[in-house]
Amino acid sequence: MAHPLQELVHKGWVWQGREAAEQIAPEQLQDTGWSDLNRRLGGGWQRGALHEIQVRQNFQGELALLLPTLRAQEKPCLWVNPPAQPYWPGLAYQQLQQAPIWLHERDTKQALWAFEQALQSEALGAVVAWFAELDSHAVRRLQQVAAKHEQLAFVITPWQTHSEARSYVNRLQLEWQQQQLQVAVVKRRGGWPLPAAPCGVTQLLPKRRRLSA
Amino acid sequence: MKQPKLWWFLSTPQLLLDEQLSLQSQEQQQQPQVLCSSEGQRGPYVVQANAAAHAAGIRLGMPAVSASTLVPELRQRDYDAKREAAVLHRLAQWLYQDIAHIALYPPQGLLLEVQHLQLLYGGYQGVQQQLQRRLRRLAVNVVLAAGYNPLVARILAQSGCSLLSAEREQLQAALARVSIASSLLPAQQQQQLQDAGIVQLGDLLRLPVSELGARFGRAMISYVAQLRGELCPPQQYFEPPAKFRERLDLLTEVASWQQLLFPLRRLLQQLEAFLQSRQLSVTAFVLLAHHRKETPTRVRIAFALPLWRSRDMQQLVQLQLERQRLTTPALELSLHADEFSERQASTSNWFPNKQDVHYRQQEERQLQRLFGKLQARLGEAAVQQAQALTDWRPEAAQSWQAGAEPALSAKPEVTLPRPVWLLSEVEPITIQDWQLHWGPERIQSGWWDGHPVDRDYFIAIDSEQRQGWIFKSQGAWYLHGWFS
Repeated sequence: MAHPLQELVHKGWVWQGREAAEQIAPEQLQDTGWSDLNRRLGGGWQRGALHEIQVRQNFQGELALLLPTLRAQEKPCLWVNPPAQPYWPGLAYQQLQQAPIWLHERDTKQALWAFEQALQSEALGAVVAWFAELDSHAVRRLQQVAAKHEQLAFVITPWQTHSEARSYVNRLQLEWQQQQLQVAVVKRRGGWPLPAAPCGVTQLLPKRRRLSA
Repeated sequence: MKQPKLWWFLSTPQLLLDEQLSLQSQEQQQQPQVLCSSEGQRGPYVVQANAAAHAAGIRLGMPAVSASTLVPELRQRDYDAKREAAVLHRLAQWLYQDIAHIALYPPQGLLLEVQHLQLLYGGYQGVQQQLQRRLRRLAVNVVLAAGYNPLVARILAQSGCSLLSAEREQLQAALARVSIASSLLPAQQQQQLQDAGIVQLGDLLRLPVSELGARFGRAMISYVAQLRGELCPPQQYFEPPAKFRERLDLLTEVASWQQLLFPLRRLLQQLEAFLQSRQLSVTAFVLLAHHRKETPTRVRIAFALPLWRSRDMQQLVQLQLERQRLTTPALELSLHADEFSERQASTSNWFPNKQDVHYRQQEERQLQRLFGKLQARLGEAAVQQAQALTDWRPEAAQSWQAGAEPALSAKPEVTLPRPVWLLSEVEPITIQDWQLHWGPERIQSGWWDGHPVDRDYFIAIDSEQRQGWIFKSQGAWYLHGWFS
């Protein structure tokens, strides 16, 4: 029988410090495009990892946060079940290099299968997927696949009310406050959670100035 | 002087039965089986029998009733000449990979012109080896005979004389020994010849032509001239069809697509041979499961990239069929393909900054493979890539392509801000909830195709601080996209 502690580790309730101490090669880190966020995440998004971004509602700034990452990809990115159609003219205006690939599949099981296949493919720059909720089993599996194939993947999901553990490498919570996108780090590699801090995504968006009527 | 032509005739005396046996398990093949024809007036009789039936004492021509009395566990099926001719057609297609001139003699024979092939395959021996290599892959009983004339080869093969020789004397000697019953002459003339005491073709050939003509008419003169190699009627050569249509008898009822995968493999092998002989690839085909009464179930199989190897197709077909359900049992399976493309190295450009063509092609193929895999299971429409179009109307400035076609995915030229999200349906909004930040940008277009737009676009912020792309058209406000 497995040691009770082992079981806790499997459940993700207990983390091993050893993993945190491991050094990550710089080429395995993807610049987030936001210096402050890079610092908070220990250098950037780790490739071969699944990152979670929790949003209060869709279109709130999550894509703006990811734009520098998507821009850096030379290969096309796959969008799994996005809340609206990705608009290539707008993305090209934001200097993305490759036309988006849109996967829509209502059945969650099938969508997860497709997500996993996409993580295994070397043809994609990054995978961004929208899911209402993913159970710990699914996340662990996807994380393993992403790690094995060194794929960069994001899951965008509503704010999670429960605090159950998931095997995401990073978990971020986004919220709009005081004219700024606030990013809280709920979980990160090798560190304690960090409180919300503003991220300057507005630089990438159209200027905010009220038209005088 | 013109070089005398050389012909081979391939006779397949039990083609239909062989075809059916090849679909059965080893165990089933060991059971005695026959095909019975009910042509003529004497009731059904055995026309084809497998080895087990022969071993049990069944002979060809035996009435079906006596055969089943002799071997009670005998499996009998009806002989169908049309179906056998279709099998023959397929066989011709298979051999067409090596042999350019094939004439069909349905239902059981193929005439091959081998004179030119000797150069290609290194002499008579070489052709023989090549052909036998091809035939070995098919579990078909054949009798192969050579001839200096099509008719000679045909008579020898159909009389069961397997003689592959380029020596004219040897062939003539063999021909002389063939009985009149195998002469392929009309039954009435055979009777007349036999009545005149002519029992072998040798006897016939010794008679003076003028006398034969006087007694048996012009047809006999031409017949003898062919046997002597003096006359060679033009042959109508087989031309491979531009469409692939194959049908497979399943022999038993099959209730699910999963069980059809094994027989399907054969169809895919045939498709591969078809494609190989034309240097084509296939991008889509239709599978039809034929039922006893109901209209056939159609399943369209499409590939994201052109394929020609049967094992590549097999894999993807398997994935696509996992989603399908067969409502009623199937008796036959057919495959129809007519969407072909020339095989060529793809030259389109994915990575303008990477100069290495090989590297680019590899990446492109990887993407196509991913598309193929996902579409196989989720359907063709489930995975699509955006393609930029030049149209002022925002909704017409991009379309979605089911295939990964890199040549089409050129980067759009955009000078004015455009949202990264576009709603598929515009949403009516109350303008009081929004704060206008930028605009207006007037888009007036599309009057030529009946979908005119006349809109003033603004960038605006909703109560949740989200930046939307909204427009005013005929006094009403709509949301069309999001910027973040």
